[in-house]
Amino acid sequence: GDSRASSKTSADLSAYKNVNDLPPPRDLMIQVDQKNEAILLPIYGSMVPFHVATIRTVSSQADTNRNCYIRIIFNVPGTPFSPLDSNTLKIQGSIYLKEVSFRSKDPRHISEAVQQIKTLRRQVMARESERAERAT
Amino acid sequence: MTDGHLFNNISLGGRGGTNPGQLKIYSGGISWKKQGGGKAVEVDKGDIHKVTWMKVPRTNQLGVRTKDGLYYKFTGFRDQDVANLSNFFQNTCGITPEEKQLSVSGRNWGEVDLNGNMLTFLVGSKQAFEVSLADVSQTQLQGKNDVMLEFHVDDTTGANEKDSLMEIAFHVPNSNTQFVGDENRP
Repeated sequence: GDSRASSKTSADLSAYKNVNDLPPPRDLMIQVDQKNEAILLPIYGSMVPFHVATIRTVSSQADTNRNCYIRIIFNVPGTPFSPLDSNTLKIQGSIYLKEVSFRSKDPRHISEAVQQIKTLRRQVMARESERAERAT
Repeated sequence: MTDGHLFNNISLGGRGGTNPGQLKIYSGGISWKKQGGGKAVEVDKGDIHKVTWMKVPRTNQLGVRTKDGLYYKFTGFRDQDVANLSNFFQNTCGITPEEKQLSVSGRNWGEVDLNGNMLTFLVGSKQAFEVSLADVSQTQLQGKNDVMLEFHVDDTTGANEKDSLMEIAFHVPNSNTQFVGDENRP
């Protein structure tokens, strides 16, 4: 499949084409799907995919109770360098998911997820900006 | 199977994740019991308000909304179950199940639909996810355009998910007309 073309513009940004393209259901925990450049978040018993290009930042934090928190902030219009901005007109009127945070009992899994998301995001962004440069 | 359908591996989904159990759909209604005991769900035929089907990865999900506004999601039906049960709901309850579609595009922009307690985030008219406002402990308006929902921390219900949703924030641009001046928005 030509998944490399999937994040060209936000208008045709698409992580998966079909429901059954999602990875097989596993534990309800944050997962990174490198191949499809997506992250999957457990929300109310379902794994909900988000394309990595929709993500602006990801960070984690620990408290004294061995709890660990992960915060994912998404691109919304009006934020600097948002890759969605070029297409904002098309999707005007939409409501955006801006931020989600999760608590986990497993700090290692959370730090792994943060690293994987950051790396994947960097790769996709580098490729896209290279593509944009070549196009000009 | 004249009076009912029994399914041994049906999960009930909700705030804390999913729990496997046994589901019986019979002339009197719907009954689900958690594997190994504990939680049970009983919905009388007369209390069923609406039934929906949705294809989810590798299986099917049945949504049952009661007249009291409660909403249950059962997952684990084969394609042939969907056809059988749709007939059953039609013949026994006089209810035609509606079909919903799941969004898998991974986009973070769409619409918010409020129906009873449920907040649904739709992308391209397909459902991306649903949350229950009954589990929201606090809402905050951040700045002019952001709405933050904080969820109850519930360690008692046998949550089986590894990572638990704590907060979710939506950005409502000025160009959105759905919630302008609505004090009761999420």
